[in-house]
Amino acid sequence: MAIKIIVMMKQVPDAEEIFIDPVKFTLNRAQARGIINPSDENALECALKIKDQTGAEITVLSMGPPAAESAIIECMGRGADRGVLVTDRVFAAADTYATSLTLAASVKNLGEFDLIIAGESTTDSGTGHVGPGVAEFLGIDQATYCTSLHIENDALVAERDLEDGTEVVSIGLPALATVLISSNIPRRAKLRLKIDALRKGIEKWDHDTLKLPPEWVGIKGSPTVVGALKIPEERKRAAKRITVDQLGELVKELGGMGLIKTEEEEA
Amino acid sequence: MTDLVGCIAPEKLEEYRNVFVYLENRNGKISRGALEMLGKGKEISVKLNEKVVGIAIGQDLKAVADEAASFGCDLILGAELSDFNGFSSVAYTNIISDFIFEQKPNIFLISGSREGRDLVSRIAVKCKTGVAADCIELDGDPTNRLLIAWRPSFGDKTIDQILCRKHRPQMITSRPGSYKLPEKVEKPDCETRIKKVKVGKLVAKHKILEFKPKTRLDLTSSKIIVSGGLGIGGPKGFEPIRKLAKELEGEVGASRPVVDLGWIPYEHQVGQTGQTVRPKLYIAAGISGKIQHIVGMKASETIIAINTDPDAPIVKYSDYFINADAGKAVAKLADEIRKYKKAHLVEADSEQTA
Ligand SMILES: Cc1cc2nc3c(=O)[nH]c(=O)nc-3n(C[C@H](O)[C@H](O)[C@H](O)COP(=O)(O)OP(=O)(O)OC[C@H]3O[C@@H](n4cnc5c(N)ncnc54)[C@H](O)[C@@H]3O)c2cc1C
Ligand SMILES: Cc1cc2nc3c(=O)[nH]c(=O)nc-3n(C[C@H](O)[C@H](O)[C@H](O)COP(=O)(O)OP(=O)(O)OC[C@H]3O[C@@H](n4cnc5c(N)ncnc54)[C@H](O)[C@@H]3O)c2cc1C
Repeated sequence: MAIKIIVMMKQVPDAEEIFIDPVKFTLNRAQARGIINPSDENALECALKIKDQTGAEITVLSMGPPAAESAIIECMGRGADRGVLVTDRVFAAADTYATSLTLAASVKNLGEFDLIIAGESTTDSGTGHVGPGVAEFLGIDQATYCTSLHIENDALVAERDLEDGTEVVSIGLPALATVLISSNIPRRAKLRLKIDALRKGIEKWDHDTLKLPPEWVGIKGSPTVVGALKIPEERKRAAKRITVDQLGELVKELGGMGLIKTEEEEA
Repeated sequence: MTDLVGCIAPEKLEEYRNVFVYLENRNGKISRGALEMLGKGKEISVKLNEKVVGIAIGQDLKAVADEAASFGCDLILGAELSDFNGFSSVAYTNIISDFIFEQKPNIFLISGSREGRDLVSRIAVKCKTGVAADCIELDGDPTNRLLIAWRPSFGDKTIDQILCRKHRPQMITSRPGSYKLPEKVEKPDCETRIKKVKVGKLVAKHKILEFKPKTRLDLTSSKIIVSGGLGIGGPKGFEPIRKLAKELEGEVGASRPVVDLGWIPYEHQVGQTGQTVRPKLYIAAGISGKIQHIVGMKASETIIAINTDPDAPIVKYSDYFINADAGKAVAKLADEIRKYKKAHLVEADSEQTA
């Protein structure tokens, strides 16, 4: 039987188009164009590679506003078999605890699975805490910062990129992996698959589907709160204008500050 | 495994006391990030009139305990693994959560290294609490015994205060390099409690097959850094930057998007989710100066910005601003430095002959 893979995907605002509500200090996501979080594209590509090699059934799972549907359809256009959008007003403004809880409950609702693949972090808030949080709720092992994944027998073999080297680890399934951005080249969607996806549609679940009380999720279920907002205190700097023709003078100044080593000093 | 339940807050917050610090260690040495956390932990514990408690896991923790004591740790709780050599988040989460359930700490600081970030959110889920990620400023509020944590917000100028008012411990991470290393204390006064722990069952299927060590570029102690951003135009844009860095005997840095695009490896990234640097000279070429980059380099002594946009936010963070194309200005700078060096050599020579 083909293995079951769940890819967790977050739709994020295109980095350049963010607008912050100055009164409520909340992000105005509606204004920004939504894209698939970049490392989630790499996560999906890892899943599709496994599907190419050994066959797999891939479900894309996303929590977000209804507009995230287009990102899920895009994933199905690349080869994912099924799409689930967990969407409900009560899920809004969740911190990583409430987000992990909601996604873990969604995974439970999907039934049996072998592997969950997430991105390492998002380009919007980028905590990187959601993958491991989901793994803890589900009580499964994890491999983080992966650059490649494959399945061997009943195990996930992953290459992990760490500060002081590369680790190759084998962990028992079911397991969760998080994939680093740029670790592969995501394929493009195929028009035929995209049309199929649009025809098939996605499933939409809310807190009732997941049997999650509203006070456990979203802003109410979040232990962290955003307090004040401030502009950090900075040292005032002169921003002295230098033209390209004056670079010689600048270099002299730098030399005077001892920033340019001349042979003479080395000797 | 943790039940799928909401983040239920404890009833008696006053039972929770002291500041935990995770002492990430390798070969008997505490990591740089963990030492920074220990320094911050000490500061906050003094302010709140609490103790700073080091949490260590490893094979032989004697050296780790001594080092932590020398930096002012009041108590060390250690777990020596008798049947596993390596890191496993499942095993470590269990051990650390047991310490939390037993000791009820008020605050828990964990370095935002790869190991720390792998662990922190599992621990928080298990202990039903929140985490503020990648904080850049920490302070204690003695009246409410709260940890006040700040992290860059989404826009390009502000930072947000993240609080965990009702849940304990109040957890945070900060990237290594975010704070200065602490000073050693004059008279260490620290109690050490180390227990032996078996984790065999938890890691039965967790097998490290291979480890290929590599030295990663450490920019946190570099004296001179020349960084490139999207404005350098492409991977080739790093060629003049490398030359300039070489001329200055410095290192090459980068903004996040150019790393994400694969123009240069992650080890060069400066900023909130990269390295925090404080060199004598920082040159930012084709970098706009969004807050997430600024927090990683604003402590530099001298900053030179090169940008075609005279209104780019980086301008006000710079000591010198060169309003020009990055490639041209960087190449010209390298030329001028070469000339300067030559002139100095000639001067030195003529002095000798005189
Ligand atoms: C400026 C800012 C700062 C914040 N700081 C904190 C903080 O310090 N602590 C805190 O607890 N919360 C914080 N939050 C809230 C946090 O953004 C949310 O919890 C968010 O739902 C998930 O976090 P993330 O984007 O950091 O995900 P990450 O943990 O970075 O995401 C990793 C991976 O998890 C998966 N994933 C994440 N979200 C979803 C989703 N909705 N659907 C499907 N898959 C998903 C994806 O595969 C993704 O690549 C902050 C939000 C903002 C805007
Ligand atoms: C959670 C989170 C974490 C982040 N972490 C980091 C981090 O660690 N580090 C980081 O850097 N960013 C980080 N970012 C991204 C950050 O918000 C910015 O998007 C990023 O710093 C912008 O990179 P840039 O300056 O290279 O690109 P841009 O903002 O696109 O700026 C390019 C600049 O180049 C200039 N330019 C264009 N052409 C030329 C030319 N020919 N010559 C000279 N100048 C030219 C432009 O005027 C512009 O100012 C993070 C974002 C989030 C949300």
